[in-house]
Amino acid sequence: MNTNSQKIRLGLFVIIGTLFFVLGIYLIGQKQNMFKKTFMISAEFQNVNGLQKGNNVRYSGINIGTVKAIEMLNDSIVKVEMNIEENIVKHIRKNAVATIGSDGLVGNMIINILPRDGIAGVIENGDMIKSFSKVEPDDLLSNLSVTIKNTEILTEDLLRITNSINNGKGSLATILNDTVMSSNLNQTIKNIKQVSENASNTLIELNGLVKSIKTDDASILGLLLNDTISGNKLKITLGNLESSSVKMENSVEKLNTIIENVNSSDGAFNYIIKDTSLVNSLKSTLRNVNEGSDKFNQNMEALKHNFLTRGYFRKLEKEERKAKDN
Amino acid sequence: MSGLSNIKSHIQTFLKEIGELSYFTARFFKESFRKPFEFKEFLRQCYSMGNRSLVLVGITGFIIGLVLTLQTRPTLMEFGAVSWMPSMVGISIIREIGPMITALVCAGRIGSGIGAELGSMRVTEQIDAMEVSGTNPFKYLVVTRVLATTFMIPLLVIIGDAIGLYGSYLVEHLKGDVSFQLYFNQVFESLEFGDIIPATIKSFFFGLAIGLVGCFKGYYCGKGTAGVGRAANSAVVFTSLLLFIIDFIAVFAADIFYDL
Repeated sequence: MNTNSQKIRLGLFVIIGTLFFVLGIYLIGQKQNMFKKTFMISAEFQNVNGLQKGNNVRYSGINIGTVKAIEMLNDSIVKVEMNIEENIVKHIRKNAVATIGSDGLVGNMIINILPRDGIAGVIENGDMIKSFSKVEPDDLLSNLSVTIKNTEILTEDLLRITNSINNGKGSLATILNDTVMSSNLNQTIKNIKQVSENASNTLIELNGLVKSIKTDDASILGLLLNDTISGNKLKITLGNLESSSVKMENSVEKLNTIIENVNSSDGAFNYIIKDTSLVNSLKSTLRNVNEGSDKFNQNMEALKHNFLTRGYFRKLEKEERKAKDN
Repeated sequence: MSGLSNIKSHIQTFLKEIGELSYFTARFFKESFRKPFEFKEFLRQCYSMGNRSLVLVGITGFIIGLVLTLQTRPTLMEFGAVSWMPSMVGISIIREIGPMITALVCAGRIGSGIGAELGSMRVTEQIDAMEVSGTNPFKYLVVTRVLATTFMIPLLVIIGDAIGLYGSYLVEHLKGDVSFQLYFNQVFESLEFGDIIPATIKSFFFGLAIGLVGCFKGYYCGKGTAGVGRAANSAVVFTSLLLFIIDFIAVFAADIFYDL
């Protein structure tokens, strides 16, 4: 039974089976960078988020290596060693930063090495690069729960407000539901529009005025604003006014003292002002003077008609008339 | 009282069989390292067990890969995770389904074949004749067959895995337009040595169990044609049971060693 063809077929079977096995082993090994020349770099983290040995290391999104070892250095620092493909090392700079992320929403953890700006040398075997901890999903979720609670309270309040608005309570409801008010508002807005138009016209006019003031030196304001000589004169005038007022003040003070003296002292002036009998006698004297002057007028009239003096008075009338005509 | 004694006799028979199988296994290991080696017979058995089972294992593996993908696809699509298909099918076939299905198929085909062959030889006193003629029947019949199953089953498992993955790829290619390279890239992306090594080691034990139990049942076959039938039957049943026990132990051990 042991024919040659049987042996050949058995050999083929064994070789195919072994080949598949070796191929499988090789492919898995290749994925874990077992058959490539590798480089070792490390980074320190405070939290590795469930990273495991053999997890992928990515640089700009390309798989470039695997996690070789995870070691606890002390109570808070975890050192992660990574095997990096040698042919990619020349692209990684010393200032690159390692972060731990996840491959998809539910995927494995990975290390992302991110390039940074700035000049730095190419990384060397055994180098340690900086790490950067991202916001963890747990923190994010706890923050989110607070936000959700706040939102709940907010929506409850909003619901209450909208309910009361719908039921016609409060001023907002009045604004929303009252049609008269809305028409009033409409009118008000129209008025406001009108006012604003007027205001803008006024502003334009004012603008023109201001311009004319600026340009027209003949007007008083223009003169005041633009003419420096007038300004100086005004300054001098104001200075004079000031000194005049000072002088006036002095005069008033002096007058005041005089009046005080008049009031308080027993001088003649005071006597004249305060003595009533004197006033009475003055009054009668003045009456007598009036009577005297009336009689004098009568005498003068009589003089005009006297033939001795009539010529003189006529001459006077003639001269008067001449002056008027001229 | 008769029931109790019945159970007692059953337990005794079971323990006796375990003891005999252990002795048989020890004898196999002792004889397999002792000259002369029946190399030609070993190759003949390899051919009849390996090559002859290849088509059966290939078809089974192909259909399993195909069906597994077709059945899982709708569920994964629901979650929008069809891209996980290669990883999922790859891990399940390599780790568990491939070895187990191949071993069960081989237990049916090879285990029963060995049981029936050796049983009929025992019944027709050919084994006794060999002993008389000075040939070591254990070495010639048992060691060659057990070694052949031990080495052929892992190979069959690997080829069955490959064919199964190809079947899965075909479904993905036809339904999801996934390229060959992408599919197998993703399969090996998700696989680790921790998946493939324990599965292969497990396959060796599967082969050993199939050969040993088949030979044991046939070698110590009862009298008459009924005895041959029983030997073939019990070889399959006992092997299948043993395969699951070995699988459990293997997964348990792999769990500890690889910390999965």
